[in-house]
Amino acid sequence: MRSVAIPGAYVPGTTPAHRLDARTKLVLLFAATLASFVASAPWGLVVVAAGLMVALAVSGTSPATVLLGLRPAAVILLVSVLSNAIVLVGQPGFSPEGLTRGVVVVCRIALVVGFALSLSATTAPPALADAIAALLAPLRRLGVPVGGIAMSSSIALRFIPLTVEEVERIRCAQRARGARLDEGGLAARLRSWAQVLVPLVAGLFRRADELSLAMVDRCYTGDQTSLMGPLAPRDWLALLGGVLWALTAMLL
Amino acid sequence: MIELRNASYSYDGSRLVVDRVSLSLAPGERVVLLGLNGSGKSTLGRLLNGSLRPSEGSLSVDGESHDLARLVGYVRQDPRNQIVSAVVSDEVAFGPRNLGLSREEVLGRVDEALAACGIEGLRERMTSELSGGQQQLVSLAGVLAMHPRYVVLDEASSMLDRGMRRRVAGVVESLVARGVGVIEIAHSAEALSGASRILVMDEGRLVWEGEELPTGLAERLFGRPGPVPTSQGAADASAHSLEARCVTLAYDELVALDDVSLASRGLTLLVGASGSGKTTLAKVMAGVLRPDAGAALLDGSAVRAGSVGLAFQRSEDQLFCDTVLEDIAFGPRAAGLPDDAALASAREAARMLGVDEGLFERSPLALSGGQMRRVALAGVVSGSPAAYVLDEPTAGLDAPSRLQLRTLVRGLVHEGASVLVITHDPEEWLPLADSVAFLRGGRVTALVRAREAAVRPDLYRDAGLEPPLIVSPAEVRHA
Repeated sequence: MRSVAIPGAYVPGTTPAHRLDARTKLVLLFAATLASFVASAPWGLVVVAAGLMVALAVSGTSPATVLLGLRPAAVILLVSVLSNAIVLVGQPGFSPEGLTRGVVVVCRIALVVGFALSLSATTAPPALADAIAALLAPLRRLGVPVGGIAMSSSIALRFIPLTVEEVERIRCAQRARGARLDEGGLAARLRSWAQVLVPLVAGLFRRADELSLAMVDRCYTGDQTSLMGPLAPRDWLALLGGVLWALTAMLL
Repeated sequence: MIELRNASYSYDGSRLVVDRVSLSLAPGERVVLLGLNGSGKSTLGRLLNGSLRPSEGSLSVDGESHDLARLVGYVRQDPRNQIVSAVVSDEVAFGPRNLGLSREEVLGRVDEALAACGIEGLRERMTSELSGGQQQLVSLAGVLAMHPRYVVLDEASSMLDRGMRRRVAGVVESLVARGVGVIEIAHSAEALSGASRILVMDEGRLVWEGEELPTGLAERLFGRPGPVPTSQGAADASAHSLEARCVTLAYDELVALDDVSLASRGLTLLVGASGSGKTTLAKVMAGVLRPDAGAALLDGSAVRAGSVGLAFQRSEDQLFCDTVLEDIAFGPRAAGLPDDAALASAREAARMLGVDEGLFERSPLALSGGQMRRVALAGVVSGSPAAYVLDEPTAGLDAPSRLQLRTLVRGLVHEGASVLVITHDPEEWLPLADSVAFLRGGRVTALVRAREAAVRPDLYRDAGLEPPLIVSPAEVRHA
């Protein structure tokens, strides 16, 4: 019933990462992602990991949040590590090289998740959408509907908390009228979730309808004035530092 | 000038929801549109801003008939259905950004609109974290930032408490003074003060227009002046009792309820400013929210979800089934009644709440606000619980429906049920109540007999509320 904390959900604040321009942060995330996948083990990755420590520190994100963010994928990651480590064809057995390979890949994924979470925790969804629009702006000449893409991403981001809210609403309404949702065996619980899913889909469509009506009421047509001003000196500094760091990690 | 000529509108192609209505609205005019639930007021409002097109007749705004949304702003009853963005400043900027203005102009308008609504302090807050009243001011700012020449307020104040209603009224007043034409859809007589004209709708038609409501019409719309408080003689010992015992509950760091103890027999009112923890307490007492400490007890044993009927503040939050009848029958079914018995009690509850049989197969979420409220209440009554918690049950209801609801509640109390009503209009319920609890910042500041609450304005002030007009120590009441 309490509000559910989603790892990486935006929290208003005044950390250095909050003050950076969303465009800067997006470019830095791109550089960091590239570095995480290209950097060679172990030293390149150590440099990337050091970068993640800095990112977590300036964004006030705790490493525990990163682990929480990885949790949904934990089973898949574990299976991929094991399947790399266990050889079934030829001479079946255990492969230490495979294990290392698997662990390295998991580390790379964890790094990317960490960077993405420190961006999303410090950037308001609308600013993120505006930044996407600003960075994609050159594509406008090729006829890409940049405004539409930015608005869709903004709405998609908005619907994540909305979905959580809607699930809570329906469960609360059903429990208030005597539905037993958290009781009984596994089968009973699954059935009770099915009871939530149908109204959830209907409810989300209704919210989407309301949202579109509210947007039309305020003259939304697809193109909006960009509210992004010129970059501040600290943004240029951060960009410069970030690019140098990513290059170092990739070249080591 | 907004000019609507002989306009009709129908959602299903057969029944006219708006039936040959003509009206005009001049700049600087404030017109109030009254009517019972389901009389077509909201549909008329939507016609005026061009989001619905009249199936017959015509509409022109300052001579234009296209792109009317930029000339006519629309503020809804529930800000949750209006807010588009996650951050306040971005929400207010949304409209102006669609008008092709420059960046500086957009930012300037955001500052101006936030200042006009007195919410500069909320600029960087998340819209979802605000209280309902703050959200409504943000919606209003979002509309004002577009510099509309006319504004439609669709029951924009009906979910707000007295203090917040006054703030919204102040913003509207300054708009009118600047020459904006305002049409305000309302249910209460409060909206009439300072109105330049009053319109009354009934069954889709405009039935009356003028400056002063004739008494007969006013009584039909607002009900007769309430009866003088009478002693209810608190319910006898056989009545059920609902109790909160030492309830404490915190959301992260925010303590919503702080050692709240409260026992209710008969009809108890729970009043408090917004954010005082009323709704949280309602959920705890209905057993759907587990407190950190303490317990909710029904006749001395712990409340199980479903054993106390809970009516939500927003009835659309409460409805989830495909059809009205299914929704009302959900409670009895969950209690294990066989199908035909569940449907029978659903029909009985629908009858008690005046839900028309013609609505049974409709989707509950496609109904008008007032009808939705009645269906939601029917869904609570159908389970015939021993106790009820009703969170703002009369919000959005017209006067006859309010009276009907009060009569229903009185009947429930007579049958021995314990009813806790959360309200920001205590004057409406005081004559029926047995006791009144005051909540402030998650603590009970007073729990007194209704007779005492009717003569002690200080109790309201202690709870951070404006005392209702009927509460005054000067008035000596004879038992």
